[in-house]
Amino acid sequence: MTSHIPKDDEWRFPLDERRKVQSLAVIRREALKKRIRHYPAFPEHIWNQLRFRPLDQWLTQGGVLIAAMLLALWLRRENTGSLNSVTACSVFLVFAGNICLNHAARLFSWHMAELEQTLYLNLKQLICIRMLEAGIADLIILALFLGITGHNNTMGIGVTLLYMLVPFLWSDTLYLHMLVHIRSTSYGFRSFALGLLCGILALFPVLWAPAYEPENLIIWQILAFAGLSVLIAEIYSILTKIERGDHICLN
Amino acid sequence: MPELTLDRITKHFKNKIAVDNVSLCLKEGIYGFLGANGAGKTTLLRMICGVLKPTAGEIRYDGAEIGRLDGDYRCMLGYLPQDFGYYPDFSARRYLEYLAACKAIPRDLSRDKVQEMLRLTGLEADQRAKIKTFSGGMIRRLGIAQALLNDPEILILDEPTSGLDPKERIRFRNIISSLSKGRIIILSTHIVSDVEFIADKILLMKQGRIESQGAVGEITRDIEGRVWEYLADQEEALRMNDIFAVSNLKNEGEKVRLRIVSDACPREGAVPVHPGLEDVYLYHFEEVSEHVDNLERRAL
Repeated sequence: MTSHIPKDDEWRFPLDERRKVQSLAVIRREALKKRIRHYPAFPEHIWNQLRFRPLDQWLTQGGVLIAAMLLALWLRRENTGSLNSVTACSVFLVFAGNICLNHAARLFSWHMAELEQTLYLNLKQLICIRMLEAGIADLIILALFLGITGHNNTMGIGVTLLYMLVPFLWSDTLYLHMLVHIRSTSYGFRSFALGLLCGILALFPVLWAPAYEPENLIIWQILAFAGLSVLIAEIYSILTKIERGDHICLN
Repeated sequence: MPELTLDRITKHFKNKIAVDNVSLCLKEGIYGFLGANGAGKTTLLRMICGVLKPTAGEIRYDGAEIGRLDGDYRCMLGYLPQDFGYYPDFSARRYLEYLAACKAIPRDLSRDKVQEMLRLTGLEADQRAKIKTFSGGMIRRLGIAQALLNDPEILILDEPTSGLDPKERIRFRNIISSLSKGRIIILSTHIVSDVEFIADKILLMKQGRIESQGAVGEITRDIEGRVWEYLADQEEALRMNDIFAVSNLKNEGEKVRLRIVSDACPREGAVPVHPGLEDVYLYHFEEVSEHVDNLERRAL
């Protein structure tokens, strides 16, 4: 009696390549669904926050920028002097900065803070990302305004920066404080009113003519330093409150 | 299987104690936290979610302290807060997509996941409508949808059925039951029927402490012989209602059938009956405790 020992190839069934491809595709799809742990890269976080910024904020921001540029260009054409362009731009910078901040402070509105604190990107990380976005946007706007006001500017870049940044710093700090601490469901109206109020505060130097005298430069420097310190303290205070958690639950 | 350990958790608000030395080991299953307003349920849940920091004690997930796990822990978490927040100018779909992005769900998956959740909660037809146009029940369903978005291993729902009509409530219970495999589900409520039929374990909280815990059968067994029924006339029924904890009162012709929770026999002729979870609730929460929310506000 002879037994037939099959060769390696004979053990195999013929493969249906088309069905194999189909089955592998199904397996790949299912495997993809199981990929529940995903660590997005930093640019992805930035983009994710930007794409959920409300359209009205983009539009308002654009409107402010266009208005600022048109006004500055008109002032330049009228030869009213570089100080006028700088003061006009400083007011617009305040409004542009407040609009950027609005997106960051929105995290604290509508009872969202408690929920956001439990997400993969928690409230602290979300606020840092949005503040960073606001900071980058502010720098871009500042650079743009510096460019616009640079023509025939006799004040020098340091002084121009000072005149633009001091109202911006104080207004931003005040606005941030109010947005985070005065939270309610009338968020839209209230934040708009607060933004307007803080913007109007930036008009004070414009209304007080001696403010831009060279001998008062020291006051601007002191205000700049103090404003920066208060802003840092404000951000630190917000982050500490988030860390402790008690305050989040009361929004 | 996931395991969540609460090790001597205490939370103080200034000098008031909201949660007092709670130790628990939670494994796969549905846990129903029952307690009166101010019993400390929400504070405890907030600590489990990482929103509040315990004054003392540790919360560990599979042996690791949740603060150390950080984002990895929150990836496994689904939370529906009592005061559920939403951006009213967002549509339901955009809102869920936003939260999916913040929950680090890959973009190629999030679209399918959002649709799945909208279908599950019956919001598919309204997905493009702004949330500000939603009814209270729809907003609650949206809250449940967002909590389930990331297939959480730990699902925490604080008063999930408030604002839902009876049909939605039943639907919600069925959804939760179907999800219980391989997850820790924590439900906090003061509505007994929300947890009576689906919870594997009931935890009764009172003044920041776990007063009693166990399966429904075990908990009700604890007060066996303390629930009584008898027929009284109208006048006597009113009198008894003032004196005893009456869990049910039913008119039967001229008479009223009273169901009383009491350590001793309330009256001659009263017969002991088998206790239900509502009787247990009444037995433990007859007194009204202070409200922790007020306590939190005062502390700040």
